[in-house]
Amino acid sequence: MLPVREPLSTKQEIVALKNEEMELAEQLMRDFPGRDDSLVIMGNLCYRHGNVIKALEFWNKALEINPKRSDVYRSMALSSMKKGKFADAVAQFLKALEIEPQLPDVYSNMGHALMMSGQTKEAIKVLEKEIQISPNSGFAYFLLGQAYLQQKEYEKAKENYEAAIKINPGYTNAYYGIASVYAKLGNRDKAKEYSENFKKLKAEERKSLKGRKIKYDDFVETQKSAAITYINVGQAYRENGKLVKAEELLKQAAGLDPENIVCFLELATLYQVSKQPSKALQMYKKIRDIQPESAVSYLVIGILSSHLKRYDDSEEAFRKLITLAPQKSDGYRELARLYLKTGQKFPQARQLAEKALALEANAPNYFVLSWACYANGDITNALPTVKRAIELDPGNQQYPRLYKQIQRGY
Amino acid sequence: MIFMDDRVFGLSAGRLIVDVLALLCISACAYADGAIVFSDITKETGITFIHTDGSSGQRYIIESVSSGLALFDYDGDSDVDIYFLNGAPLKGTKFDKAPINELYRNEGGWRFTNVTEQAGVGDTGFGLGVAVGDYDNDGDLDIYVNNYGPNVLYRNNGDETFTNVTSEAGVANGHKVGAATHFLDMDKDGDLDLFVANYLDFTYENHMIRTSKGIPKYAGPMDFPPMPNNLFRNNGDGTFTDVSVESGVAEHKGWGMGGVCADFDNDGDTDVYIANDVYANFLFENDGTGKFDEIGLIAGLAYDLHGDDQGSMGVDSGDYDNDGWLDFYQTSYAEELAALYRNLGDSMFEDVTMVTGAGAGTMEYVTWGNSMVDFDNDGDRDIFVACGHLQDNIEFYNNTTTSFVQNTLLMNTGDGKFVDVSDQGGNGMKVKLRSRAAGFDDLDNDGDVDVVILNSRREPTVLRNDSPAKNHWLQVHLKGVKTNRDGIGARVKVVSGDLTLIDEVHSGRGYQSHYGMRLHFGLGNRDKIDRIEVRWIGGGIDILKDVEVDQLLTITEGSGHAQ
Repeated sequence: MLPVREPLSTKQEIVALKNEEMELAEQLMRDFPGRDDSLVIMGNLCYRHGNVIKALEFWNKALEINPKRSDVYRSMALSSMKKGKFADAVAQFLKALEIEPQLPDVYSNMGHALMMSGQTKEAIKVLEKEIQISPNSGFAYFLLGQAYLQQKEYEKAKENYEAAIKINPGYTNAYYGIASVYAKLGNRDKAKEYSENFKKLKAEERKSLKGRKIKYDDFVETQKSAAITYINVGQAYRENGKLVKAEELLKQAAGLDPENIVCFLELATLYQVSKQPSKALQMYKKIRDIQPESAVSYLVIGILSSHLKRYDDSEEAFRKLITLAPQKSDGYRELARLYLKTGQKFPQARQLAEKALALEANAPNYFVLSWACYANGDITNALPTVKRAIELDPGNQQYPRLYKQIQRGY
Repeated sequence: MIFMDDRVFGLSAGRLIVDVLALLCISACAYADGAIVFSDITKETGITFIHTDGSSGQRYIIESVSSGLALFDYDGDSDVDIYFLNGAPLKGTKFDKAPINELYRNEGGWRFTNVTEQAGVGDTGFGLGVAVGDYDNDGDLDIYVNNYGPNVLYRNNGDETFTNVTSEAGVANGHKVGAATHFLDMDKDGDLDLFVANYLDFTYENHMIRTSKGIPKYAGPMDFPPMPNNLFRNNGDGTFTDVSVESGVAEHKGWGMGGVCADFDNDGDTDVYIANDVYANFLFENDGTGKFDEIGLIAGLAYDLHGDDQGSMGVDSGDYDNDGWLDFYQTSYAEELAALYRNLGDSMFEDVTMVTGAGAGTMEYVTWGNSMVDFDNDGDRDIFVACGHLQDNIEFYNNTTTSFVQNTLLMNTGDGKFVDVSDQGGNGMKVKLRSRAAGFDDLDNDGDVDVVILNSRREPTVLRNDSPAKNHWLQVHLKGVKTNRDGIGARVKVVSGDLTLIDEVHSGRGYQSHYGMRLHFGLGNRDKIDRIEVRWIGGGIDILKDVEVDQLLTITEGSGHAQ
């Protein structure tokens, strides 16, 4: 009989988990030697473990192999910022942009680094660039507000804070910014009003922070961090065609952090690549359970369910999608497509397709409306509608087939 | 290769990098001669003090935030003495000999003698904050120590000894975790009242240890309940009354750390600024009678530029841009810039850290003691920041840093900007320890300001100012007659040609420390002072004209002339 072992202490569990991560990343480097991906994964892991010196070594080795790794320059820049090395950070962000000029968030962060080093005018130029690339970047608008505030251009500062709030109505710091602007303009009433909003949001933030602190357990955080390593290594194996190994690692990641949707997305992709739609569907259902208000997962669930001939599930998913995103055309179009595919509710399908087209005049919506018209015997409208779909997306093979079918019927 | 279109900078990114490097070189080259130079002369001083935080691996939060120091002339011999606070054994710690606070008498010539025992100020409590003031207006300086546990008031007997009068004065303040403390005449009645900041509600029962990446670390302030601060009114008979509630101070709970009293709105009464750890800072505005309104948020001091609450540590006031208004410089936690708040003169402040460069060299470290002092006597205030990580094992979860680090020295370039000259600041700036409190005064009476630093778990550092510039200067020592005897809270304005400087006498400042009772003014090459104006708290105004430079000038209230 084997001797009974003492259970590991939390500290020992953490050490064991971190060792496992390290072994995993080392194995990846052995399996795919000389690959920049492996080195980047190891570098990122070292950084998460606080071994920043080693992280920089691995990142630099990765750049020797592949100097086009914009993500590595970005990581290095963020690391420099934490150390207050703003000039280094700016140079590294510029390197990232040299490789990938449209990389989101890089201009924002570079703008932040420039602001931190007192180069406010340069920061403004850079932040404007971010807004061109990412018009929904609340962070960029907020920083622009900060930069204009420093420049004493109060109206412009206010406009940018307001834009940040429009994107994210709970943007606490932007309220502080507007309060500061009003205070500088001498409008004490407005300053007070925005200060009160800020205080309220701040108090809510602190409450949630306190809640997090109470629940905070470093082992849980370590598990979440380890899940990232498992996902990254799993991705690398998947991309190199080692699907069995990838699946094993991604499943372990899901075990370590059951709330991490990236690992379920990775698994879903893996199952789609390996032609296992049923398993892929399961993964999307897990994502839906984690993020029940996310419309995208319902769209995929509906499509996959339809593919698997689970039509009731598919209909339910598309109806939920319409409820969650009533101003987007996807739900209406896909539900119409489902009815047409299953040969039922043709009048409803046409109504849904018309609604979809009214919301977004794109090729798939023209196509589905054309199909609905055709199914309802309205050849007159079906023909020009499919023609429009072909005009908008000439490369699509399905549209000409419908066109020919309608012509034959005509 | 041009990899960014010209709309971004109007020049190529490669060119930008060259320009940035050129800029850095210019900064370094311009100050390569070392306009401010400090020499580490600790070993010559005879100071044997070793700080203890009372730790034994339990990681009680209070270990991480100790301790303050005081620079003041305890024996009235016109040189500045040093009082170091010390920790005490915490639960689980044993010492053969209990650690005590230590007082060192300045013998001149950079020699100091430990006079703790003779003076009777070797408190064995867990010392956190300290302030000095003549609370009984008998002409000598008394000491108040803000402890973890009961606080202590030492009355100076005037014969180089002190008496513990805490109990009869009524200022023990229960059993709390103390922080900054200040003497101030809040109601302008001529005697000094007492502000006592509190950090948080720690007990051995609610103690906890956090971990990061599996490595143990000190818990943060928010792991413990906040505390209101206390305010004691001086009854004028050697006793005090707790007026925390009536004054409005107790309405506000926070995590108090450093603080400073200053008349920020120049309305003739003393206000109080308390830096809170990871919480909005408090600015208590005095209505002139000792009633306070907390206006930190609306004044723009509660949060940094971004609206974030900093892990605020120490704070000091001074007019860095010589516009006649007192500004604040406040230190903070790692990965935050220490912040410079410019006083706009309408009860509003602006965080000018980034545009002035006043945060340079502070992002990587936890920053503590600080002051705005004109070290090179060129007529503008420079900044010294004591640094050292709070987590003694930081290198285990970020191996690019360590808890033993260099302090930071920022030179004022005279145009409202600062340049980091730490690396050119002499061997005194090369010391790498876990610094906490710092005090600033002219310890050798040679007309420039020296530095004393308390280092956690180690010997202190004493830095002699050996800056080469031979600029003129003036030091002012105030003597109150009707108002408090050391002019605490009084404002002094010095006009010399095109230069106008202001300062106030503070009791308790920086990181839980006390220093600078002799006001120091650097004058550059100006060799005559046209006018000095002293506005006494609760008293009148004295004006002196045509004063000589390069002297320590004592001004007695009501005399209107120098002694």
